[in-house]
Amino acid sequence: MLDSDNIAFIQSGVSISLAACGPDRLASMSRGMGCKVLDGGRRVGVFVKRSQSAELLENIRRSGKVANVFSLPSSNRTVQLKGVDAQVQPFDPADFSIVEAHAADFVAEVLPLGLPEEVVRTLFACAAEDLATVVYSPCAAFSQTPGPKAGEPLGGAR
Amino acid sequence: MSVRIETIRECLEGIIPGHIATCDAEGMPNLAYLSQVQFIDNEHVALSYQFFNRTRQNVLAGSPVRLLLTSHLSGAQYRLTLRYLRTETAGPLFEQMKAKLAGIASHTGMSDVFRLLGSDVYRILGIEQVPGPTVPPPPPPVNYLTALRRATQRLAGCGTLECLLETALDCLGDEFGIGHVMLLMHDDGRGRLYTLASRGYPESGIGSEIPVGAGVIGICARERTPIRIGFMTSEYAYGRTVRDSIAADGDADALETAIPLPGLPDARSQLAVPITAFDRLTGVLYVESIADLHFGYDDEDALVAFAAQLGLAIQHHQQAEELAEEPLSSENAAPVVAGSPLAVRHFGATDSVFLDDDYLIKGVAGAILWALLTDFVERRRTSFTNKGLRVDSRIRLPGVSDNLEARLVLLQRRLEERDAGIHLAKTGRGRFSLAVDRPLRLLEGG
Repeated sequence: MLDSDNIAFIQSGVSISLAACGPDRLASMSRGMGCKVLDGGRRVGVFVKRSQSAELLENIRRSGKVANVFSLPSSNRTVQLKGVDAQVQPFDPADFSIVEAHAADFVAEVLPLGLPEEVVRTLFACAAEDLATVVYSPCAAFSQTPGPKAGEPLGGAR
Repeated sequence: MSVRIETIRECLEGIIPGHIATCDAEGMPNLAYLSQVQFIDNEHVALSYQFFNRTRQNVLAGSPVRLLLTSHLSGAQYRLTLRYLRTETAGPLFEQMKAKLAGIASHTGMSDVFRLLGSDVYRILGIEQVPGPTVPPPPPPVNYLTALRRATQRLAGCGTLECLLETALDCLGDEFGIGHVMLLMHDDGRGRLYTLASRGYPESGIGSEIPVGAGVIGICARERTPIRIGFMTSEYAYGRTVRDSIAADGDADALETAIPLPGLPDARSQLAVPITAFDRLTGVLYVESIADLHFGYDDEDALVAFAAQLGLAIQHHQQAEELAEEPLSSENAAPVVAGSPLAVRHFGATDSVFLDDDYLIKGVAGAILWALLTDFVERRRTSFTNKGLRVDSRIRLPGVSDNLEARLVLLQRRLEERDAGIHLAKTGRGRFSLAVDRPLRLLEGG
C-alpha cells in the first residue's frame, strides 16, 4: 500500500495527526506521538495519548474510520492516509523507543524553524501508560503537499 | 464557553500550524493543515479558502468543523468546534487575510501556490483545552494596557496639532517600544496619503505619497481596517506597489515619487492602522520591524485604540485652529532682506512649487505656499490665519475634511527640511507668520 519512500517519510520527523468522526459527523483529532509500519506497509500503527484522545478513541471504536496526516514542517510535504478498519490496541511498551526517537526527530526538524525546544518537548512529553496504539490498514493515500497536485492519490496507493 | 478565543490568539498565527478535521456524508474523516486562522471576535473566526479540496467539499456539504490549535508559547493545545456561516471574497476581512497569507506564502516558499479565494467565516461553538503539560509562557514584551494608558494621557496634554503628532510618534517609541513609525494623512480629493511625520529612518520622507489602495498602508486606508503582515513579501512592499499603482492610474506624474518614502527596505513585519474620526478616514499609522512576526493581535488592538484617540484629538485640534479669531491688523511689515534672490516657480495645473528648480511641494500645500509668498512679495504681508486661508479663492480647499492644519504642518516641515530660507512659524491658535532669509523672485509657469 505504501512504497518504501512514503514508509520512510511517515516515520521521519513529521507532524502527525489522527482523526475520526462521531455519530453527529463531528470529528475529533489528536496529535500522534509517532507511528510504526506493519506488514510491509499494509498496516500502520499510530501512538496517541489516551488522556488527550477520549473522544477520538471512542469515535474509532464506533466507526473504525480514520484520517491520518503526516507533514514535514521544513518542506510542507504532506501525506494523508485513510482507513476503515481502525482498532484501538494497548500500547506495547517495547514501542516506547519509537516514541522517544520520533520526539527527538521532530525537535531536530522544527528547532531550525525557530520553535522553542522546551515547548516542543512539552508537546511530546508522555508516559507509556498513557499511550494507545491505533492500528489500521491504509485504504487510500493522498498527497496533500500544497500545490497543483494536492489531493491526488499517491503513486502505488489503491 | 470555557476558553475565550481572545485569550489564546497566539495559537492563530500559524507558528505551529493548526489542524482542521471534517467529515463526509459517509462518516469518513478528513484532515488538513491550516495556514492561518483569523480572529474576528469572541464568537467568530475565519479560515482561508485557497483550494477547492476535500475539506471545503465537506464543509459545504454541512460537516461540522473541528480545529486543533497549539500555542507556540506554552505548548497548550485547544480543540475548537466550529460551524460554517459564509464566505467573503472582498472587504476588510478578506484584505486582512489576503495580506497575511501573502507573507506566509512568501515565508514558506509558496508564493506561487497560496492565493486567497475567500475568507470562510465560522461561528465558534466551543473551545476546550486538551489535557496535557504546558510551560509558562514568556512575559509579553510590553504591558499594552499600561502603554496605552500612558500614551493617551500624553496625547491629552498637547495644545497644538504639531505637538500632538510629535507626541504620538514619541509615544509609539517610548511606551510601545516601536522604533520605525510613519504617520500619513489622507488627501481625500486626490486619493493619496502623504507622510506628515516619521521616526526611525535616515530621511523623514515628509511629503512622500502613497496612493490609496497601494501596499499595506494604501489597503489599510482603502478598507479602513488594520493590515498586519508577519513575514517579508514583495507583493506588499511599498516601493513596488506605489510605482505599480501610480502607473496603473494612468496619471504617472514624476512628482508623485519625487520625495522617496521612508521605510525599511527589509521590513519583515508590517502593521498599518487606520486613523479615523466620526466615520472619516483621517490618516494611517504605520509601524514596521525587521523581525518576523514582530506584531501580534495585542499590538494591533493597542494601536487601533491609540489611533482612535489620536483621530479624535487631530479632529479637535484642526477645528480649534479654525475657530480662532482673525488677529487685529497690527502686523509688522516684512523686513527687507539682502542676498541673491531665491527663485520660486509655481505650476498652476498641479500647484507644484519649485525652489531654485528643486521640487518642494504640490497640491493644496503648494497652493497655500504660493498664496502666502504672493502676498508677502506684493504686500509685504507676514501674518496669516487658518480662517483667512479657508476663504482664499486662490487655494481652493476641497472642503471641511481638507485637513488644513495638517497641510500647514506638512508645508512648514518641508520648508525646514529643505533649509531654503522660508520659514513658517505658529504665532497663536489659528495664526502663523512667514519670514524669509533671502529676497524672493516669483515665477509663474515654466
